[in-house]
Amino acid sequence: MSSSVIELSQIVKEYPGVRPLDRVDFAVRPGEIHALLGENGAGKSTLIRVMGGAVAPNSGSITYLGKSVSWRSPKEARTAGIHVIYQELALFPELSVAENILVDAQPTRFGLISGRARHALAAAALKQLGVTIPTHAKVDELPLADQQMVEIAKALVGQTKLLILDEPTAVITGREVDLLFENMRRLRSEGVGIVYVSHRLEEIAEIADRVTILKDGQVVATSPVAALTREAMITKMVGRRLEQVYPARLQAPAQTADVLTVRNLEAGPRVRDVSFSVKAGEIVGLAGMVGSGRTEVAEAIFGTREVKQGSIALEGKPFSKIDPGAAIRFGLGFLTENRKDEGLFLGLPISANIVAPDLGSVTRRGLIDRATERETAMRQMKEFAVAAPSSEVKVGNLSGGNQQKVLFSRWSRIANRLLILDEPTRGVDIGAKVEIYRIIRRLADSGIGVLLISSELQEVVGMSDRVYVMSQGQIVGEIQGEAISEEAIMDLAVRSMDRSRLSVAGGAELVS
Amino acid sequence: MTALIMDLRRNRLLASYVIVGTLFLILVIAGGLLSDRFLTWRNFSNLFQQLIVLGMVSLGQTFVVLMGGIDLAVGALVGALTVFLASFLEWRPDMLWLAIPLSAIIATAIGALNGLMIVVLRVHALIVTLGMGSIIFGATLMYRREPGGSVPNAFADFAYANVGNIPISAIVLVAIFALAGLWLQRTRSGRDIYFAGGDPEAARLNGVHVNKVIILAYAISGLCAAGAAIFLTARTGVGDPRIGAALTLQSITPVVVGGTILAGGRGGVLGTFLGVLLVTTLNNLLNFVNVSSYYQWVIQGLIIIIAVAFNTSGKRR
Repeated sequence: MSSSVIELSQIVKEYPGVRPLDRVDFAVRPGEIHALLGENGAGKSTLIRVMGGAVAPNSGSITYLGKSVSWRSPKEARTAGIHVIYQELALFPELSVAENILVDAQPTRFGLISGRARHALAAAALKQLGVTIPTHAKVDELPLADQQMVEIAKALVGQTKLLILDEPTAVITGREVDLLFENMRRLRSEGVGIVYVSHRLEEIAEIADRVTILKDGQVVATSPVAALTREAMITKMVGRRLEQVYPARLQAPAQTADVLTVRNLEAGPRVRDVSFSVKAGEIVGLAGMVGSGRTEVAEAIFGTREVKQGSIALEGKPFSKIDPGAAIRFGLGFLTENRKDEGLFLGLPISANIVAPDLGSVTRRGLIDRATERETAMRQMKEFAVAAPSSEVKVGNLSGGNQQKVLFSRWSRIANRLLILDEPTRGVDIGAKVEIYRIIRRLADSGIGVLLISSELQEVVGMSDRVYVMSQGQIVGEIQGEAISEEAIMDLAVRSMDRSRLSVAGGAELVS
Repeated sequence: MTALIMDLRRNRLLASYVIVGTLFLILVIAGGLLSDRFLTWRNFSNLFQQLIVLGMVSLGQTFVVLMGGIDLAVGALVGALTVFLASFLEWRPDMLWLAIPLSAIIATAIGALNGLMIVVLRVHALIVTLGMGSIIFGATLMYRREPGGSVPNAFADFAYANVGNIPISAIVLVAIFALAGLWLQRTRSGRDIYFAGGDPEAARLNGVHVNKVIILAYAISGLCAAGAAIFLTARTGVGDPRIGAALTLQSITPVVVGGTILAGGRGGVLGTFLGVLLVTTLNNLLNFVNVSSYYQWVIQGLIIIIAVAFNTSGKRR
């Protein structure tokens, strides 16, 4: 007999080549906030999808409110009282707030949807949450935080027994977070079981009762939050101590020549005035908030974004062509942020992906030499430890970490001068991360300049020999060597934002 | 055997080949049972004769679909080209040497124009080629409403000629398909077509000039349409603006039946060849058992929907 709202037992989910959930046990009691913690790719999202009926497990059992269930669709789980708020909100941007809140519970009168009843019900739900959002407004017109409140209001309509929130605080801040927590506590006191996914350990300490930590698809710990220190959580999550994750940085500042020199670059609305340089053999971090213009700088350098003003020089020679082909010929590589949309050809084999930017090197008398292509691919796969049975496996069938290694295999051949990495470890597990860090350092040691763009401060701090901090389209500071720390970076990023706000308020231009 | 099944589960393209091949065999056996004249060399020779027209337009369509587009102008283009050829040759029967390259150049240019409009105007390929098809069809009708014109006898003889027992047109078709396959698999521009179809943004970041690839693919489709029109004119001896009406849809069927996915980036010409063989055999068999051509329309429609459904089902998960 269980007293849990939901109890998962020995859940396994398998895709070809990967096992995002490996015999997972997980239970949520009524009136508890249960935090779910884990690195990217640890299996949190899959677990949520299993509970919400969006993914069917290969084996294992689910007990919900004392009864064994197996969801056939998200709708079925929803009707039973499980409400999932996914990271990517499931709202209809063109419809009104009220229509969205009551999306699967449209009130009807005489068989027709009643507009008045709808707005009244929606307003009641929003009032319960303590927010005032006009129910007639189109969701599109709302700020992201309000959109999230609309999503939560959806959960209040109907009898929600289990509320699952996937990183809700990723898009909201300050007062909205407080409001969210307040509502979570209220729902908890009403006996709702809540699953809370977040990367922010401070939040978990503040709000959660228990925590379950996932690593590589397995549960490594379930315990009351109070019984685990922050360090203990990290160690369990990462599976090793942090010092071992990053390779050692350069002993002294690089004395080599600049591979890349950017002066007063202006490109598009998000890059307003950017100057910096990368020397051969060093790893230069480019830190800053999402939207600060980091990716756009990379695009301008690689020739996919028009340069309005300023100069880009590669080994002292000016370069400003809108032509990635020319950048590639110079020896420049660009690992894009979104490997699935912009980097890899998922339907093609590993070999074709690896040689894609310089097919010329495997072409003999106008024809691609398949043997050379395969050999080249196999050599690269071995060097970068891509785990796949052969070079002819389709890239779409590989795990995130292996896909990323395929990209490294590709660009390390081309990029013998400068390699730009945009979020190189997003969505890969910690094991692959460590390998990728080693690869990056090895490439730098071989004399390549590396520009590392990352939102993970830890990564920037751990990897970089030098760090530039970017904010609102400008470089606001540079930090070197041992002085690099998360605090120093945040300090620069935040201070500059406050300053610009001050300057706007004061009506005066601030000269930095 | 189990290894084969594993391969089939992993490789949808191979699975398509096996399925199409099996269906072809079933058709041949069924044909043999239904009619004692079906399994004769005479009939097969006739069947191979018929492959070239559908084969050529489907080949062009394969390039376009692989690159991520679709060409709905081919039917009208083939009709217009037959009118051009038959009219030109009626006027100057001695200038066959000029008429053929001229038709190829015109067709290639019109194809390239399709690509150019898609690239420059950023209008969806569906609309550009559908609109272009309508323009070509209307313009052709303005010039010639009914089938007409004529061709020199030598031209007609060539189209029906055999080497031994095998029609020249079938040999030409196999050779062209082999060349096209070699091009797609083994050259940089061929690979670029797969890149652009698989993921245009990724292609761009790998230094591929995606716009050029788009124009190239539509130009090839035009050129292939010319190939079809040349044989068609030689066979029928007239130019007929309406002759290509059914050809547009028909050109897509072998492509998708052969496992090339409409989203682009995956597939190949071998599948298309098998698809052409299957569709042509099916039509031949339906003629044998005296099924009205109206049913052939219905069956064509069913086949294309089922083929696309089969190709897409594996992608959802």
